[in-house]
Amino acid sequence: MNDKELLPWLEKATLGDESAFQLVYQATHQDVYRTVAFLVYNKQDIEDIVNEVYMRMWRSFHKYDPNRPFRFWLHGITVRQVQDWKRKAWRRIRLFERNRQMTCEQFEWTDKAVLRSEMQHELFSLVRQLSYKLRVVVILRYFHDYALEEIADMLQIPVGTVKSRHHLALKELRKRFEMTGGDAYVH
Amino acid sequence: MSIDKELREELRQAADSMHCPPDLYGRVRQSYQHYVNEKRGRSPMKKHVLAGIAAIAILIPSAVFASSYLAHDIFGSSTTIEQHGVSQEEYQEIEGMLQTAKGKLTKDEFKEYMELTKQLVQLKLKITDENGVVHEEKLTKEEQQQFEQLASRLAPYFEKINGVAKP
Repeated sequence: MNDKELLPWLEKATLGDESAFQLVYQATHQDVYRTVAFLVYNKQDIEDIVNEVYMRMWRSFHKYDPNRPFRFWLHGITVRQVQDWKRKAWRRIRLFERNRQMTCEQFEWTDKAVLRSEMQHELFSLVRQLSYKLRVVVILRYFHDYALEEIADMLQIPVGTVKSRHHLALKELRKRFEMTGGDAYVH
Repeated sequence: MSIDKELREELRQAADSMHCPPDLYGRVRQSYQHYVNEKRGRSPMKKHVLAGIAAIAILIPSAVFASSYLAHDIFGSSTTIEQHGVSQEEYQEIEGMLQTAKGKLTKDEFKEYMELTKQLVQLKLKITDENGVVHEEKLTKEEQQQFEQLASRLAPYFEKINGVAKP
């Protein structure tokens, strides 16, 4: 189902039609989940945020501009929810606690499938080690294929900032990749 | 292969291996139902609706028809009101309520609000006798349904007027 076809269903869902809700969820949940999972690593947090993204979706539908692509709006909401979550101070304290625990129980707190793909994909594991600010640009650029201007719009930061973060991210990735022995991407 | 291309490929493969846990559906659905209930005004809003309906129900039997205010549109002719006994004071109260509504709602909203209230009051008048006693059994099944429907359509307006609406 494409985005245009999805819109009437989304509207019905916001009005309380449960079958429309199911349809919208089916059409979007993998996309939302994966986007969040690229940006946040704790399984419980990912699920909390996905839930919040859907709440935001119903509540903000009236603000959706039908002239813009639906996915752009959806990804905007998703990224903002992730950022909101990161901002909340009490959560940061929890995160700090978790980071301490993580060292001893790393295998439990990261999705096993993700770990497996990290092992198979060197570059992906390097992306996961980037700071959040650089990573979000990489994900939006290379996973969702947005132009740098669109990313700036979505993150509500200047294009120049996006460009420099993009540049820095690629530089980091190249450097680290070189260090681990894969020199194939170094120009 | 360029780093751009490789990144795209690896992120796509990594994404393919990430699956949204099926039990998350139950949770999102629950939140959705919560949203729907809130929107339809089941929980805190229902109280306001009931309070609003109760206010009208109490005021009608004892109000005196005063003059051509907003309330005049709601109750129709002066004879209608006189049949149900009327006090100037309480008629003013209803008028006040309507004026508040006019101030807080947009023009179109207020128009619909008046229309709905009018219909609701018509039903109320029908079942209230000259002594102010309510006979609900006078309503037919369809009228009862209509009554409930009116109440639920009025709900968001009451919420707005009472100032509890979320932005």
